[in-house]
Order: sequence, then C-alpha cells, then structure tokens
Amino acid sequence: MSDRDVTEKIVAALADYLKRDPASIQLDHHLRDDLGLDSMAVIELLYKIEEVFDLQIPDQDLVALSTVGAVAQYVEQRLVPVKRPARPSAKGKKTT
Amino acid sequence: MPSQIVVTGLGIISPIGIGVSEFWKAALDGRSGVSTIAGFDPFPMDGYRSKVAGQIHGFAPERYLDSVQAERVDRYAQFALVATKEALADSGLQLAKENPRRIGVIVGAGMGGMVMGEREITQLYQSQRPHRVHPNFIPVITLNSASGIVAMAHGAKGPNYTISTACSSSAHALGQAMQCIREGRADVVITVGADASITPLVFAGFCSLRALSTRYNDQPERASRPFDRLRDGFVMGEGAGALVLESASHAKKRKARIYAEVAGYAATSEAYHMVIPREDGEEIASTMRLAMADAGIAASQIDYINAHATSTSIGDAVEAKAIRQVFRSRADSIAVSATKSLVGHTLGAAGAIGGIASVLAIHTGQIHPTANYEEPDPACALRGIKAAVQERKVKAALLNAFGFGSNNAAVVIKRYAA
Repeated sequence: MSDRDVTEKIVAALADYLKRDPASIQLDHHLRDDLGLDSMAVIELLYKIEEVFDLQIPDQDLVALSTVGAVAQYVEQRLVPVKRPARPSAKGKKTT
Repeated sequence: MPSQIVVTGLGIISPIGIGVSEFWKAALDGRSGVSTIAGFDPFPMDGYRSKVAGQIHGFAPERYLDSVQAERVDRYAQFALVATKEALADSGLQLAKENPRRIGVIVGAGMGGMVMGEREITQLYQSQRPHRVHPNFIPVITLNSASGIVAMAHGAKGPNYTISTACSSSAHALGQAMQCIREGRADVVITVGADASITPLVFAGFCSLRALSTRYNDQPERASRPFDRLRDGFVMGEGAGALVLESASHAKKRKARIYAEVAGYAATSEAYHMVIPREDGEEIASTMRLAMADAGIAASQIDYINAHATSTSIGDAVEAKAIRQVFRSRADSIAVSATKSLVGHTLGAAGAIGGIASVLAIHTGQIHPTANYEEPDPACALRGIKAAVQERKVKAALLNAFGFGSNNAAVVIKRYAA
C-alpha cells in the first residue's frame, strides 16, 4: 500500500465519521482544534483505523496522534515492517 | 421526621481484605491490592492492552453464605451478601426485633451480573441452542438481583431498589438511603455498593475505551496512582461495601455504637459528555457545594475529602481544580486521599468503599495513604494528598463520586454529635 493510499483511506475514514466532504479535510488539520473531535471521538476514529489497517495502536502512541498528517504518517510507519522503529519493551516504557 | 441519619455498621470485601479490620489495616499500610490477571479462561491476556486489576483472589462464597443463596446470584451479588452480613453483625441490629417494613435495602451497582451474563451470551451464540440458556439467566443479570437477594437474606421488607449510575452508583445509594430515612420511609437502610465485572468482555470494553492503565503491566502494585504525575489510566477493581444507616433516634433507642452521621447529599448531571468530565470543574464544584448546603455546613468545616480520583489524566486534574474552586485558600490544608490507589476502581462499589474509608477516618482519626503518590502532578497538586497515613481529627468529610453518563454525586459525612 502506498503512502498516498494510506492517507486517502484515513481521510476517507475521517470524512465518513464526521459526515463531511473528504476534500475539506487537510493533513495539517488538528483532530481536536480543527475537526472538533473530542478524546472519545479520537478513540473511536483510531478504533476504525485499527480495523481498516489491521493494527493495534498502543495507548502510549495516542498522544502524538494530534493531526490528520500525524495519524497518516504513524500508520505508514507501522505498515512498513522494515522501516518500523524498534518498539520499546513494556519494561522500558514504565520507567520513563 | 428524623433530622440525623447515622452509620452504625460496616462491612466490606475488597482486593486488600475481606472484612473491615483486614481492609483498614491494609489501607493504613498503603498496600495495593492490584495484581496481574492470570487470564480469562480459556484464552490468555495477550490481546488485552491492560493486564492488571484489583482482584479478590480465592473468594469462596460457601465460606460466608449458604450454598443455595450463593448459587442463585452472580459474583457481585455474592459480594453484596458477604459485606451486608458483616455490616449487620457489626451494627448489632437484632432483625427479629425490628419491624421488617421499616428496613430498606438500596444497592448501587454499575455492571451487575456480568460473569453469568457473558457466559450465557457466548454459549448461545456458539451453540445456537436457545433452550440451553440457563433458567436463572434473567434473574441473575437483572440489575436489582443484589438488592433483592440482600432483602431476602435478612427479611427486609422496606424500600428496595438499585441505583445504577456507573462509577458513582453507590455514592448515590448512600445519599438516597439518607434521604429515604430523612423522609421517614424507613428506620434502617442497608446501603450497599457492589460490582464484580473483571470479565473478558467488560475488561476488553474498558481497554478499548483507552481508560485503563497499560504502563505498569509488569508492576501491578504501581498501576493505580491517582494524582501522581506518572498515572496513565484507572485500574479495574471488584468488591463490595455495605453501610447500615439508621435514624439517630432509632440507633440511640437500641444503644447502638454510632460511627458517624451522613449529613448531606447532592446529585447532579453535567449534561455534557458520556465519558468526559467538563474540564473547567464547575459542575463538580457545584455538586460539592450543594452537598455541603444540604448538610448545613460551610466549606470551612470540611477537613477531609475522599476523592473520586480514579488515576486518569483528565479526571484527577478536573477534580483537583474543582476542589480549589470550592475551598480556595483552604484547598491545601484539607486532607485528601484516593481509596482507588489501594483497591483499584471498583465501579459500582467505589462510592460505598470510599464511604467506609471516610467513616473510618472520622471514627479512628486516621486517613489512609494514597498509594503510589510519588511525584505530584502540577495539574492536580494539593498538599493534602499524602503517601503516608495522616493523623487528623476529622469532623466533616466529603465523598466525591462521578460516573459515566455525565453524572456526579457528593456526600457529606461528619462526626456525630447528639
């Protein structure tokens, strides 16, 4: 899947969730401030994205997913195993 | 009509102890009852983001209850029965001498009979044999099964109902019990909060809500850390708390030991969001003020707050903000503790268990520590939150409880003076 496909799918999911025209959604749109998603709506959106891309997004990763572009970039990274950064172990996480 | 309503009996079953003395000793030690979930037989925990909970291990209902009673109800209602039995014995009430129609039962439960509920639903979908759904399925999952069985166990024929407002259920039960006696509808109300839904589906649901702690799966005892900077969500718990409430005149007539007075209660809705509190804290502040007004006491008289404090990022911050709004310059001199740091979030039982901690604070002059409070978070720093026991003569305490569905409760409990 190309990066463009990923972005398009995410924008489509967002447009469907928000019941608005996909063309009106931009990559730099902030999920909360521009698109009006509250924290619960973001969780619902990510739930949908997890299904579309067959992913599991850990809670710790949520905080960085603030814009449409950030979500697209995150999903792209997760979909390319070679590029995928080594995920910190549970042990490493909790001591931070 | 009675003007004073008092607490004369306590009972509890919790992840840090079965029975009030075991619970309170562990609570004062600041011991966490959170442990690793071994697995939801038959499948393992791998797919769950969170893997820890405040569980009651090795609970054998037959040790406390007669088998017919125990087998007819789900785990949460068994907990309710066990806690009630202790509370009634503690109160010294001799039920045979009481008018049964003047004894009520009010239970707060958030999830109810989910152990059997999930099992039966799964079996039906897998087997597609509707005639094999257990005949007891409906009575067990009906949300008033606990208030029903408690009344049957003790012959209580007065007002009997269940309040289900998610995580604030039994704080409302406590408030409603006080009002029920205040209005003259009962002399005694057995007030219970109970939940036991660390079950595959409910636990998965809370994981999907991203509401649970996931950072401390390898160190479960550190996972529930209300107000701490490194908190990352709540930890599910299970248990039950029971409080025997009665009119002061009824208690005095039978020369009962009085722990404390339940003096005021407020119930409000934020009418805002199913799961998110209003960030300005105004609605919570207003609920606390209404409860104090109902109790006829001023904010200056509160010396302890048993906070709702679930260990979520936003929830704890909003509650602390609301406390500052209400108590202003005194906010840092009020003792605050989070019972959920010890037992996790017992959902429908949380209000009753927090209520018991508040009653015991008044009764013993000791406030239990907030476990894992290691580094204050500037977003919710209050100087009265301590990781150690606080010795203090508590004259008046405020119990906070907030629930999904945008609902808030606050209860004022104070030292009893005739």
